Amino acid sequence: MIKKKYNTINDFLEDASFKNWALQNNGTDINFWEFWIENNPDKKALVNKAKDLVLGISFDKNLVGKEKVAFEWKKLEAKIQAKKEKPKRKVRFLKQFSAAASILLLISVAFYFINSNSKIMHKTDYGEILTIKLQDGSDVTLNSNSSLSYYKNESRKVWLSGEAFFQVDKKVATNAKFWVLTDDLSVEVYGTSFNVNTKKKKTGVFLEEGNIWLKLKNGADKKMIPGNYISYSAAKDKILEDKNIFNATIKTSWKNGSLLFENLSLEEAMEKIEEAYGFSIIFKDEQSKNTLITGAVPITNIDICIKAIEKSVDVLIIKKDNSLIISKK
Amino acid sequence: MDKLTDKFLWKSLKEGDLNAFSVLFETYYPELHSYGLKISKDTALTEDTLQDFFLYVYEHRENLSDLETIAPYLFTSYKRFLLKVMKKNEKVKHTDFSNENFADIQFTAEELMTNQETERFKNKNISSLLNKLPNRQKEAIYLKYYSGLKATEISEIMGINYQSVVNTLHKAIKSLKEEISIIKLFKL
Repeated sequence: MIKKKYNTINDFLEDASFKNWALQNNGTDINFWEFWIENNPDKKALVNKAKDLVLGISFDKNLVGKEKVAFEWKKLEAKIQAKKEKPKRKVRFLKQFSAAASILLLISVAFYFINSNSKIMHKTDYGEILTIKLQDGSDVTLNSNSSLSYYKNESRKVWLSGEAFFQVDKKVATNAKFWVLTDDLSVEVYGTSFNVNTKKKKTGVFLEEGNIWLKLKNGADKKMIPGNYISYSAAKDKILEDKNIFNATIKTSWKNGSLLFENLSLEEAMEKIEEAYGFSIIFKDEQSKNTLITGAVPITNIDICIKAIEKSVDVLIIKKDNSLIISKK
Repeated sequence: MDKLTDKFLWKSLKEGDLNAFSVLFETYYPELHSYGLKISKDTALTEDTLQDFFLYVYEHRENLSDLETIAPYLFTSYKRFLLKVMKKNEKVKHTDFSNENFADIQFTAEELMTNQETERFKNKNISSLLNKLPNRQKEAIYLKYYSGLKATEISEIMGINYQSVVNTLHKAIKSLKEEISIIKLFKL
């Protein structure tokens, strides 16, 4: 990948990792290309042109169905057979049959390899929540600005960036584990429900039900019991928080579309809004930072969210470009 | 589809393998059907010509040259086949294709995917913008993003070189993007 030279638009278009970057499909490719583009500013115009072409236009194809194709084939086959002479037909048929069987085998083997190893990724934008049902029956709710990926043939091992709530189905027969991997740690599960949040350069895990083991990047193991909240940062090589939370909804309310604030300062509350919606927060009124706020705000509708906060803490919030500006009323 | 499979399929067909031909038929019929319909806008005509075309291919299999990829050959030959029939019917239908090298393709709003970027304004707008593009650009767009063909394959089908395909596609996408941003400005 790195040795290759990219001089013409063709070099980009034929490159699978470039396509992944343009479609924002694969983490390592995205990292690679962002780095590459930064270091090759002279190729920027070419890159943009190639990106436009990769993205193109998505069509919702309306192709004829299998039955129609089978019907048309029967029609054609009859015409072909009618023109054919009759002798030797049996022998030919056998030959044809074995050839067809080998073609089908070839195609299905190819399909198997293409499909089984493909990586699947779910991504959410700011202000968007996604519910995903995994192949094994487990449910995942993905919070805004997050992504979850796994290999198709291994859906009980998932990579998470951002925040997600997991309800893992127990596999009693096989006792198969479920894994959640983040930059800081991995969560080892048999069947339970828990919340994982990787925002702010740490991973916070809240266990609602069952029990799970954390394997931290530094090699340490940690067992969790329901109500535990642990956050760990691999960069700092340190457990930042280890406590019990009695009101579970504080950590998990987002999956029902709302953020719960319980005696939180406005500054902390706005930080959560920043995470959910992607706005940067500007305080013009320093004093209001410390005002306490209690209540729930929606996670997928910024306008209603702003109104709710304005009402409960008596400030003025103005949405401008990508910022929320907070000032005195 | 994989190149190896394409080559193998084509070779088997040339040897008269009817089952290989049925795999080929099942693989390419849906895309060719949709392509034919875009060119002729006539379902009966599309289906009749597809029958005749595939029969023609099978009967002339021994004279066909070796192929690495099948799609460009099928798209090009079928288009030629269909246009010939349409020209024959021209007098009856009072339409004129004779001075056109590229098919006049029309897109509908239903065919466009709704994604986050296009949600703000209706797909209707995009389809009418698409339809206003020159025929050459529309056909390139169709073959690339609807039929999912590679630029090299499109260059074979349209009889223009690789760079022209890329330029044509980019011109189309660029003017589409500009028009879309103008619409966005008006709507906001």
